[in-house]
Amino acid sequence: MNWDIPSLEELEDIVWKCTACGNCKVAYKFGPPPSFGEICPAGVEFGFDGNMASKGKIAFARGILDGELEWTEEFVEAIYKCTVCAGCQNQCELDHKPFIPEIIEAMRRKAVKDGAGPMPTQKVIAQSMRSFNNPYQGPRRVRTEWTRPFKKVKKPIKNIMKEPAPILFYVGCTGAYNAPARVIPTATASVFQKMGLDFGILGENEICCGSTAMRLGDADEFIRVAEQNLESFKKLHEEQGVNTIVTSCAGCYRAIKKDYKLSDEYESVLNGIEVIHTTDLLYRYFKEGKLNFTKELPWKVTYHDPCHTGRHLNDFNIDKDGSVQWKGSYLGKEEAQCLYDVPREMLKAIPGIQFTEMERIRDNSYCCGGGGGVMTGFGDWAAKNAGYRIQEGMMTGAEKMVSICPFCHYNLNEGAKRVNSDMRLYDLVELLDMVTEDQG
Amino acid sequence: MTEMPKENVDGNVLKELASIVGEKSATSAKHIRYAYSYDLSFVSRKNPDYVVMPESVEQVQAVMKFANQEKIPVVPYTAGTNIGGLCIPERGGILLDLKRMNKIIAIDAESHYAVIEPGVSHAQLATELYKHNLRWSWPVGPPSASVSSNAISHGIGGLSGRYGLNSEEITSMEVVLPTGELVRVGSCAIQENAWHSCLPLPRMDGLFTGWLGTSGVVTKIGVRVHPIPPVLKVFTVSADNIEDMSAYMFNLGNYEICDDLTGVSWWLAQVPIPYPYKPKPDDAPEWFSFGTTFSWTEKEKEAREEIWEMVVASEIEKGSSLKKTVYPEEALKARTELPSQIVGSTKNYTKQAGGGISWPGTFTPLKAWGPVYNDWKKILINHNLSPSVRVTNYRGVHYGMLRAMIPFNKKSPEETENARHAIVECLKVDLDHGGIPYKPPVDFAREINQRAHPGYLSLLKQVKKMLDPNDIMNPGKFGI
Ligand SMILES: Cc1cc2nc3c(=O)[nH]c(=O)nc-3n(C[C@H](O)[C@H](O)[C@H](O)COP(=O)(O)OP(=O)(O)OC[C@H]3O[C@@H](n4cnc5c(N)ncnc54)[C@H](O)[C@@H]3O)c2cc1C
Ligand code: SF4
Ligand code: SF4
Repeated sequence: MNWDIPSLEELEDIVWKCTACGNCKVAYKFGPPPSFGEICPAGVEFGFDGNMASKGKIAFARGILDGELEWTEEFVEAIYKCTVCAGCQNQCELDHKPFIPEIIEAMRRKAVKDGAGPMPTQKVIAQSMRSFNNPYQGPRRVRTEWTRPFKKVKKPIKNIMKEPAPILFYVGCTGAYNAPARVIPTATASVFQKMGLDFGILGENEICCGSTAMRLGDADEFIRVAEQNLESFKKLHEEQGVNTIVTSCAGCYRAIKKDYKLSDEYESVLNGIEVIHTTDLLYRYFKEGKLNFTKELPWKVTYHDPCHTGRHLNDFNIDKDGSVQWKGSYLGKEEAQCLYDVPREMLKAIPGIQFTEMERIRDNSYCCGGGGGVMTGFGDWAAKNAGYRIQEGMMTGAEKMVSICPFCHYNLNEGAKRVNSDMRLYDLVELLDMVTEDQG
Repeated sequence: MTEMPKENVDGNVLKELASIVGEKSATSAKHIRYAYSYDLSFVSRKNPDYVVMPESVEQVQAVMKFANQEKIPVVPYTAGTNIGGLCIPERGGILLDLKRMNKIIAIDAESHYAVIEPGVSHAQLATELYKHNLRWSWPVGPPSASVSSNAISHGIGGLSGRYGLNSEEITSMEVVLPTGELVRVGSCAIQENAWHSCLPLPRMDGLFTGWLGTSGVVTKIGVRVHPIPPVLKVFTVSADNIEDMSAYMFNLGNYEICDDLTGVSWWLAQVPIPYPYKPKPDDAPEWFSFGTTFSWTEKEKEAREEIWEMVVASEIEKGSSLKKTVYPEEALKARTELPSQIVGSTKNYTKQAGGGISWPGTFTPLKAWGPVYNDWKKILINHNLSPSVRVTNYRGVHYGMLRAMIPFNKKSPEETENARHAIVECLKVDLDHGGIPYKPPVDFAREINQRAHPGYLSLLKQVKKMLDPNDIMNPGKFGI
């Protein structure tokens, strides 16, 4: 397989498109009424322009490219002080807009290639990936621990390597290894079983999607696991009848949907397979009347858009051959793939739910602070930032916050502890599990 | 062009700065300094030696006292979007990033003024003012940029046609002098919480407006704000040449009915400005104008329309090429939906060129627009640059703005130099016709000084010496 993962040098022309206008430093919409809010967690925490938004990251990239900036411990740290949330990207309108996360990650790739990155705390992840095929240093057998209750009640989950099924539930490492986040695969499998879906998991044979490695700039490691995954998906399609890959993890979803596309064999390997987020799949059944809510949940909730199921899934239209404006011109974005309305509609459909919105939502959602390797590299900052988001949620009068990402789940709950809030983060699928019974 | 100043990073200085603003808010890390070393203009890159982010007036005072004692240059900074390299440190020193002083201290919705700190952005103020149905004269710049920096730099905005420059809207100021002394000008100087007016006291606000951050650090500012009437009407016309357009703008400007009365050349009306120069189609008019009016009632709007119709008819009668026209929607939005994230992101200007924008931005009497534009057009086309020129009336017809927004490819030193040459050449033409550049980069300052009355330069130096005896504040910016 060939991978089109650009180096920083290959992005040099794009890097020079930035005017340093600083539009990316805050989220703003004319409205009316106008809306304004902080958008860059790194900017909020560290403040200097270099740390803030794509303006700052691009300055770093220029400094590297023009030879002015050399790797120092502090500088390496600075390029990892970013959740790669793409909040800044959402504010920019120039031709480099589609490539902003790419520029940030290309800098990290360069740091890794030069032996300077990632940060020492994050190197553990890289090592763990190589030894355990997951970023959590988790032995293989632990990957299926969350399935034990299912076995206990004699509702075991199919091992798709052994038994065919049309749906592969790709669990993801966070749901499998991060104890508080295990509620997510548990609830997912529970709802699937109640609906009588024929699905299976890879169990101990599942390996990391590679998202964390990619976000940290470790392209080699990403490629290694991505190729294995793509091959295994192909095999499962051909031999076990898999035609849907569903995941409850925003990071895995983004990786398979977007990062895997950088492979020249993506289309052919995934031909005949649909990759879908759990929320989207369940929404489809809900719309078709196959998922019915039978219980009430009298909760006041608000919804947090994860970056990876939101703006990271933008499709950017680029004038590839120059027939519309000029070669490389950014023409606009399409949000069809972004899961903004689907989770909201599902939430609102749950009997008893009172739903209120936070100020920074959808494409201008404020990142929980956990992405881009920040939870490992800067755990304290990640939780502090999550605390701000929880406080924003509390200001709506909601009692609980709902989202669809295990990273956000873990980090926002840490944030709640940090600000002594009773607010808890639930995954949408947990709520769905609470209000559904066997649909048979 | 000036060269990169010699690095002068001293660990003891950093320690002292950190003791004032806290360790996390003071740095001499090269990558952070690098990020403050350039802007979008043709001005060449220069690093500061330190960056500090104060959060209180007391911290600003302490930094200034220390810098003054050690004779270290200080460059005030809020967002650095001035398009003139004004925050690029000519002589290194301390970059004073004020973005964290961002409180809206008061909005007096009855007496129509707001009191804000320097880090308050257009986006932030717009959001709060709107809750009171109030507005400020928003520039077509980045919403993340500072309102106070715009005001003290003689900024212009969507209400300048009616009220003049944004510096004319300042009602009071609190300023830390280069020596660290705290001063106030305007009503807040007499009664601590009275921020409503600079008058009828002596106009000492002039000591801090138009000084390009060389005379003191503004730490609070009062600005006049205005109600938002509900009915918007934009008068749009086209003309084949600048002479017809300026005659129309003179004529309509007399009635003082527009918040903003602006003309743009065909090149500036394109989104984005063509780069390099591309000829205008023969059948397209060379000039467009939009006159923005807000009315309280439909009747008021109709009365304004009646005046406009009369003006257009009288111009056509004189044989003008003027025509009523429809202004392209995207370009019109960029003028009426302010602050604008789209224009602020520089999309309309430099999306094709990439990375760079500079301007010969000038105050030029309406009478001189024609001859200056025609010369500029030749100069710019000669340099393969689009003559993307804007003209705007201020305060009726009292004075006018004339500027060319020049995008260029900042990656290429040759193309950057080409733009600089063209712009400086344009500037000379304008100065010779009585125009004055605003927010001038050092290259412009030198041209101004060459023509200045010796008494002006002498007074400027004396005032500067009085306020800043050690010449520490943004030194070199006046080219003296
Ligand atoms: C695309 C584009 C369009 C623009 N259009 C307009 C326009 O229509 N009208 C207009 O007026 N401007 C325009 N601008 C320029 C600029 O965006 C605005 O004037 C803006 O409000 C300046 O704020 P800033 O925070 O960027 O100031 P900065 O660039 O940070 O500072 C400007 C100057 O003020 C000094 N300074 C900053 N803070 C202080 C302080 N507290 N005390 C003393 N001195 C200080 C600085 O040293 C510098 O000399 C435009 C810019 C762009 C990029
Ligand atoms: S990344 Fe885009 S929005 Fe940010 S400074 Fe650069 S051009 Fe402006
Ligand atoms: S990706 Fe997110 S954290 Fe990183 S610079 Fe952009 S807004 Fe800040």
